[in-house]
Amino acid sequence: MIGIVVVSHSAPLARAALDLALEMVPEDPPPVALAAGAGEGITGTDASRVAEAITEVAGDDGVLVLMDLGSAVMSAEMALEFVDPGCEVRLSPAPLVEGLVAVVVSAAGGASLDEADREARGALAAKEDQLGSAGPAPAAREGIRFTLTNDVGLHARPAGLVVRALKDIDAEVRIGTDAHDPVDGRSLMGLMSLGAGHGDDILVTASGPDADRAVDAIRKLIEDGFGEA
Amino acid sequence: MASLTAAGAAAWISRFADAVDAQRDHLTDLDSAIGDADHGGNMSRGVRAAADKLAADPPTHLDDLFKAVGMTLVSTVGGASGPLYGTFFLRLASALGHEEEADPAALATGLRAGLEGVAARGKAERGDKTMLDAMGPAVEAFEAAAGSDLATAAAGSADAAASGRDATEPLVARKGRASYLGDRSAGHVDPGAASTALLFRALAEAVAQ
Repeated sequence: MIGIVVVSHSAPLARAALDLALEMVPEDPPPVALAAGAGEGITGTDASRVAEAITEVAGDDGVLVLMDLGSAVMSAEMALEFVDPGCEVRLSPAPLVEGLVAVVVSAAGGASLDEADREARGALAAKEDQLGSAGPAPAAREGIRFTLTNDVGLHARPAGLVVRALKDIDAEVRIGTDAHDPVDGRSLMGLMSLGAGHGDDILVTASGPDADRAVDAIRKLIEDGFGEA
Repeated sequence: MASLTAAGAAAWISRFADAVDAQRDHLTDLDSAIGDADHGGNMSRGVRAAADKLAADPPTHLDDLFKAVGMTLVSTVGGASGPLYGTFFLRLASALGHEEEADPAALATGLRAGLEGVAARGKAERGDKTMLDAMGPAVEAFEAAAGSDLATAAAGSADAAASGRDATEPLVARKGRASYLGDRSAGHVDPGAASTALLFRALAEAVAQ
């Protein structure tokens, strides 16, 4: 599993952003280290602490660093000059909160550094879609059709459950709606960008050795209403 | 003083800390006009911590001394000035090497390395309304006078830094928090340039005797 470092000017902000993200992965959360504040309640960032945090979570699969603004980026860049953790360390341009949620979920789902990095970069897509205009008229779609019967549809938590359910299944899974092109079933931000709500249909295609298992896993989640009471 | 010694370097940092303390409210006022109003407090805390560290455990070699200053600033300043001034002193330390003193030519090379480190760290250029607008002219003035004695070179660099600081007033910020203000950042001296002018004035004072 990749390691994650959160760099923020504010320790409470980093802690709260992480808590929000960890709600998505109650079991098996990825290793996350915080480098936030300049000590003693002072707002700011500390490159030495960032370097320490990178070392704390470094493993074979690499480390992705998420930052808030300004000196957080500079301190993270400087930290890379202080440490040699023996694995790749990458700084993510993603917005902190959206990016952290995407990275925590994808990392818990076994994402590689490349995949987590990509997920984080795409982290604004869901919000952009939510705020943007409706897309072009839908073309005919293919896939197995399921109707979302749970109250909130495919919002963040259910989408996270889909990503996790597909974690160990060897199949390429694409999920779309009547209004939206299919997205990678392992992409939290992609799934959220579908904007599929209560009563909407989703269309699932799967290929690969475990394609049937993948579809079954999604069917089960939907039938269970994603565990919503 | 023909060369900068470890004692001279420690005096430089000590005088810098005193100057930042004395100008603390002024630096914060400048920063409240175009930034997040923390430059005075951040710099005062950081430079004082660096000066205290040198006083408690005085290094005998310039690289150890400036490395201690740089690392202390990185860990205690908090804002962007931490990694920026931290980089300045760490690059200066590397360029000077494990020596007990540096003649003006060696110091000029070290200051140039520090300047280039700051530019790379901040991805900024002269004219962006940053500390580079004071540091660039200061280093150039020092280089130009490096053939003369240390005190003369340092005095020239302090004057150039002050002029560079003043010249930031009409500029529109293109880096840092002030750049969020766009045209409204014009009409204010850049706080980073102001603290950099204090840095070079402190050097000139420390080597004047």
